[in-house]
Amino acid sequence: MLTLKLAFRNILRQRRRSLLTALSMTGGYMLFVFSMSLLEGSWSNVVDIFTLDQTGHVQIHKDDYAKRPKIHKTIRDRAAVERVLESHDEVTGWAPRVYSAALAYGGDKTSPAQVFGIDPALEPSVTRILQKVTEGEYLDAAPNADGYFKAMIGRGLARTLHLGIGDEIVLISSGADGSIANDIFIVTGIVGNATSFDRLGVYLPITVAQEFLSTGADVHEYALLAKDKHDNENLAVDLQGLLPELKVSPWQEIEATFYRTMQSDKQGNHFTMGLIVFIVFIGVLNTVLMSVLERTREFGVLKSIGSRPFQLIRLIFLETIMLAGISVAVGFVLILPVVIWFTEVGLQLDMAVDMGGVVFDTMKGEMSTYVFFMPMGFMLLTAALISIPPGLRAARILPRVALGSH
Amino acid sequence: MTTVIETRDLVRRFGEGETMVTALDHVSVTIEEGEFTAIIGPSGSGKTTLLQLIGGLDEPSEGDVFLSGTNIAHMSGTELSDFRRDHIGFIFQSYNLIPVLSAEENIEYIMLLQGISEKNRKDRVKEMLALVGLEGLGDRRPAQLSGGQQQRVAVARAMASKPDIILADEPTANLDSATGIALLDVMRELNKQMNMTFVFSTHDQKIMDRADRLIHLEDGRIHLDERRTP
Repeated sequence: MLTLKLAFRNILRQRRRSLLTALSMTGGYMLFVFSMSLLEGSWSNVVDIFTLDQTGHVQIHKDDYAKRPKIHKTIRDRAAVERVLESHDEVTGWAPRVYSAALAYGGDKTSPAQVFGIDPALEPSVTRILQKVTEGEYLDAAPNADGYFKAMIGRGLARTLHLGIGDEIVLISSGADGSIANDIFIVTGIVGNATSFDRLGVYLPITVAQEFLSTGADVHEYALLAKDKHDNENLAVDLQGLLPELKVSPWQEIEATFYRTMQSDKQGNHFTMGLIVFIVFIGVLNTVLMSVLERTREFGVLKSIGSRPFQLIRLIFLETIMLAGISVAVGFVLILPVVIWFTEVGLQLDMAVDMGGVVFDTMKGEMSTYVFFMPMGFMLLTAALISIPPGLRAARILPRVALGSH
Repeated sequence: MTTVIETRDLVRRFGEGETMVTALDHVSVTIEEGEFTAIIGPSGSGKTTLLQLIGGLDEPSEGDVFLSGTNIAHMSGTELSDFRRDHIGFIFQSYNLIPVLSAEENIEYIMLLQGISEKNRKDRVKEMLALVGLEGLGDRRPAQLSGGQQQRVAVARAMASKPDIILADEPTANLDSATGIALLDVMRELNKQMNMTFVFSTHDQKIMDRADRLIHLEDGRIHLDERRTP
């Protein structure tokens, strides 16, 4: 306790200098947290965009369908999968899908197209498909009065084929049994915009797509959302244990290139922030060194009366950590409301960004223990490291020389 | 009588080559328990150097220093720190109290280093403050005390660890005559009451008058070793 008191009072000796040093550390911490919050918030936003647009947090496939999609790589025992998904506490929504490439005709125009067979009732529990319908109405599985099944098509396909609501679209593809699949559908909705990933997509009710592609009741994919999106990798591992016959992948595997890019960007930001903190701590090192030099005689006295070199290193360590701790605590109190505001309200962007039909017009931060405590840990660790050279200097002081100094 | 300090052929040189100075030149001296000894001599005679070597604050170029039978001349830094903490009390010319600690805390700190329990430390601090006549001033910082009071705190600090010897380097040099006399009386009383061994390095006639042994140093050698009745 007395050692802590001594360390704390030593900090207060040169109040102005300690205050300036503390301010620089407080500023460094706040900058670090704010930058982390925005970075994590931005990436979290981007991840939300594509996971809620199509990917989901976890996907389930047969074998390597995610890497090498083939129409015959289907999930047959749907009941088993759906039983697991329905009963798992960490799964908030799931939807089955079938896929196939196709050739689309509209009048005298043709275009390649991607068929998405979705469950109209379940798909909105995983994606923002409802919000993406920019024209017409959302899909349902019932045929229209003329017996034609309905389809939603991407904005790109609608433009290429000059199709609008109520028009016919003809699809030709190959069925899973090797047959030629072809049928006429009625466009009832247009989704996304010309840059959406599904701009050339044709959404069909899953039962219709299964019949069109001759897959029976099989599906190619289950996409699902996790209760805690940050814990999706653990959920994937858990589900993989429950569904050993299938391949369960978190979005980080499905979108591996994006994930690597995101991680690189985060590392780059961490490096930049680390550099800023390092520069801040050069100032701190200067302060602590000055403090040790000014107290050379005092350290000589402490050694004379029996302080071990290690005890002097510990004293300097305590002083530096205390100063850093106080600075970080103050920084935490100051930056907390800013991060809360950015997380809850966010900064309105001058120009809204349309991500595949979903409009993002607010830059938001993220509030998590990681955002606050990673910079805190880094600052305190750096403070601890920075205290070593001045501590060693104090420890090496020769009492005879120190007592002769003024 | 028990020998608490013994130096054998102690040599301390500073510098190298042509600039080398021999501060102490084969000094052998023995000091017994309970002696009130003053090392005297002109400036540059080697008084402080001898005191520092006895106190383990410096390492001899040659020779040995035995304190309570232990040769400290070639101890490592940590060994010396521990030895100083447990066996030697220091009183410096300019008090050298820790300015951010109160008088009580200054006295307590050395016992903290010794690993003494808080209760025992507090009890001993009270006892020490009473011995040096500073009851009621324990919570004051050094800057709030007079020079004489600060030096009394330094005496209390030196005594607190129950050392074998107390080494005092010009302890009265910064004090006015009356304060110096009062401080010396305190130390002489402690010497008599507790049979504590005091070794001074001094120019001060008041100390010389009270010492029961005067070791005269000149050019790094013992010129005269005089036992007397104060």
